[in-house]
Amino acid sequence: MKRSAAEIVREYGPFAGVDAVHGVTYDGSHVWFASGDKLNAVDPESGKIARSLDVAAHAGTAFDGRHLFQIAEDRIQKIDAASGKVLTSIPAPGGGGDSGLAWAEGSLWVGQYRERKIHQVDPDTGKVLRTIESKRFVTGVTWVDGELWHGTWEGEDSDIRRIDPDTGKVLEQLDLPAGTMVSGLESDGGDRFFCGGGANGNVRAVRRPRRG
Amino acid sequence: MESLINAAARALEAGDPLGALNRVALRNDAPSLALRGIAMAQLGDLAKAKTLLRSAARAFGPREAVARARCVVAEAEIALVSRDLGRPAKMLAAARATLEKHGDVANATHAGHIEARRLLLVGQLDEAERILAELGPSPLPPAPQVVRELVVAGIAIRRLRTKDARAALARAARAASLAGIPGLTAEVESTNRVLDTPAARLITRGDERPLLLEQVEELAASDALVVDTFHHSVRRRSTIVSLGTRPVLFALARILAQAWPADVTREALMAGAFRARHVDESHRARLRVEIGRLRAKLKPFADVAATKQGFALTPRKTRQVVVLARPVEEKHAAVLAFLSDGEPWSSSALALALGTSARTVQRALDELARSNKVQSFGHGRARRWMMPPVPGFPTGLLLPGPLLKT
Repeated sequence: MKRSAAEIVREYGPFAGVDAVHGVTYDGSHVWFASGDKLNAVDPESGKIARSLDVAAHAGTAFDGRHLFQIAEDRIQKIDAASGKVLTSIPAPGGGGDSGLAWAEGSLWVGQYRERKIHQVDPDTGKVLRTIESKRFVTGVTWVDGELWHGTWEGEDSDIRRIDPDTGKVLEQLDLPAGTMVSGLESDGGDRFFCGGGANGNVRAVRRPRRG
Repeated sequence: MESLINAAARALEAGDPLGALNRVALRNDAPSLALRGIAMAQLGDLAKAKTLLRSAARAFGPREAVARARCVVAEAEIALVSRDLGRPAKMLAAARATLEKHGDVANATHAGHIEARRLLLVGQLDEAERILAELGPSPLPPAPQVVRELVVAGIAIRRLRTKDARAALARAARAASLAGIPGLTAEVESTNRVLDTPAARLITRGDERPLLLEQVEELAASDALVVDTFHHSVRRRSTIVSLGTRPVLFALARILAQAWPADVTREALMAGAFRARHVDESHRARLRVEIGRLRAKLKPFADVAATKQGFALTPRKTRQVVVLARPVEEKHAAVLAFLSDGEPWSSSALALALGTSARTVQRALDELARSNKVQSFGHGRARRWMMPPVPGFPTGLLLPGPLLKT
């Protein structure tokens, strides 16, 4: 396993009226984050909130190219990104113990925090297709270039780690500075991760290590 | 971290404990237990709240030190509000240190205030002041500021420093109006009332009048020879002779002081001090002995002179002798007098001090406890009795700030 310190390239926030960040996603132009009763879209260049949707947003956030998916209580809601309207919802696999959310390969990937699990879920029915065991409390989940990454947060320590999607084995680990939390994780498809700072109320951009 | 936990924590913060319970009622993981505990505390079921918080503290993993410490703080506050004072202070101190170490200043301060309140309640004023000093004079948000000032006022009231108490209460009132918590405002007002309500009765030359705490403070600085029924002592300024363990001598001193400058007959002294119905020769002999003892005790301030009828107090270096008594003299006043030193007493020590049987003292304590005039903590032989909450002591639950927010 490769282990290194996470390189934080930029911090966004704190934002007015936001006291915690629960989930993070990226739609190609804006970073979305869940702040309890709102989904907020941040312009990654200016660092300002461009728009907000009034929806329950208690944990992970994901984007499938057209819709936002947002965990609220014990459901995963499918939201029209343009109007903010909730289109459908499916039960969350952790029954409310759910944390991170990612969309990849036609499936939703849901972190179950204290159970230290990641579930692959059918986005239409909510059926659990398979479950990956992790070693640590799982926060955000993201897929990039066929790599499965997830945030951890256990006690006072957080890191971002790449795991083998078949075995759950940790392949690579980026440690965040002590006392820094990761709640919500999303790759921008390039060399950046966006991660939520939990009660800190901000969003960080962390460099993704180059392959090769 | 978790969706439902976040939703429940938001509900709690918005003052909706039932909404929070709805979301985590059936879950038994650590954060759910803690949230349920806080919700139950807010709903007033302190016993249930305590159990839940204790289970939560156990259920959090060894790496979740901050979450665990916040549970300990919440449980300590519940114990304090339910007057469960026998709890070891060590756990709270450790939790406070953990919170400080992890930069959770707000909750560490809250923990310190709980400890200071407990110390004030058990009469350890120096220790309470030490904790407040440790927390430092850093500016606090309004609500904790009210708590701090109420503790400062409580200490000042106990120490008979009414100016300091009033200043602290004025600061508390300002902070309470900023905090906008009605319970805190009421608490400050009721403490203010304590300062404006007669705290004692002054008996001198057969006359009596009520005294405010300020006047009690003035009296302490005056020249007068004071027979103090609160502390079972005789004093002039800083010279204090405690008769706490000598009830007969104290009774004699009080009778003589109340009659001063007149004398008191032997019969009246014997009836008052010995509770003797039929006076016989043995009582007369005992009176001679006890007067001799009292004379020795009062040597710094006064002589006890024999008169034709009986005895009279002749004070030195002062023209004033007064008795400081409770506003209303009540049954079991002697028991209350001992307890008003603010220290925890065992019933056997009280029995010893009062010269009565343990059973009599126990009956008196039970009766006083029923009317909330005294309180106890601990069980069995370790049980201790004290006066009820001192003024200036916030009684409501404030509970640690964001217990579980992510």
